[in-house]
Amino acid sequence: MIEQWAPIVIFGAMSALLIGLSLVVVTARSVFRGAIALAAALGVAAGLFALLGADFVAAGQLLIYVGGIMIIMLFVIMLSQRPLAKLDRQANDQWLWAALFSLAVTCGLIVQFRAVYRGVFFNPEAAPTSASIGRLLLGDMIVPFEAVSLVLLAALVGAVYFGLGKEES
Amino acid sequence: MTLSLHHFLMLSAILFGIGIYGVLSRRNVLGILMSIELMFNAANINLIAFNHFLYPGTVWGQGFVIFVITLAAAEAVVGLSLVLAIYRNIKSVYAEKLNILHG
Repeated sequence: MIEQWAPIVIFGAMSALLIGLSLVVVTARSVFRGAIALAAALGVAAGLFALLGADFVAAGQLLIYVGGIMIIMLFVIMLSQRPLAKLDRQANDQWLWAALFSLAVTCGLIVQFRAVYRGVFFNPEAAPTSASIGRLLLGDMIVPFEAVSLVLLAALVGAVYFGLGKEES
Repeated sequence: MTLSLHHFLMLSAILFGIGIYGVLSRRNVLGILMSIELMFNAANINLIAFNHFLYPGTVWGQGFVIFVITLAAAEAVVGLSLVLAIYRNIKSVYAEKLNILHG
């Protein structure tokens, strides 16, 4: 009995937390608070990945997103805020239309998903996936793997180029 | 009642909608970048859920998620250094101030 209800309860709690934190991300007046909420939301999403049996991806999400990207983002926020920026309005004049549009997109997606994917059920058995992901990345996915390393090199060079100040360049 | 694929897909649709709202309504460029990360995350949940429910035993969806995370990292790094460069030039991070090309 408890094995049957545990995934549902965990999923419900995680989705409520995830939606609440995402709403904080898009509505918080302080960008810094939004970034902290985004870090928490990405951590909750890692929990969802683990619930779906993707243990390696959950660990990678925590390491790369929460540990890497969010730290850079917090640094940039602290480097680019004027004093008193917290008092500025953070939503622009088209927020009502934006809300209606995103509501329409969400409702359309939900209706489609409910209609098509209702009866596919959850399989709670999970097995470690690291070994098969390694084989996949260096086997069938070797071409995108190499392409992504080129993209990362280009991003590195671009970031250094844009990051140089006027006086150095 | 058991968990079904459409629960996860509905959650990711809601996340995606919140991300769209953030991209369209935020004034701050950093806020727009963070909303884009939310939308990436909704797509990742979709990929993992499809992998888990429809193709158990394979890891193609998870491999794609790893690529998405990597590209999101590259995008965030370039975007954030662009934000810093913009801030150095016009002393603002608000999107409506970026109108130098407006004529």
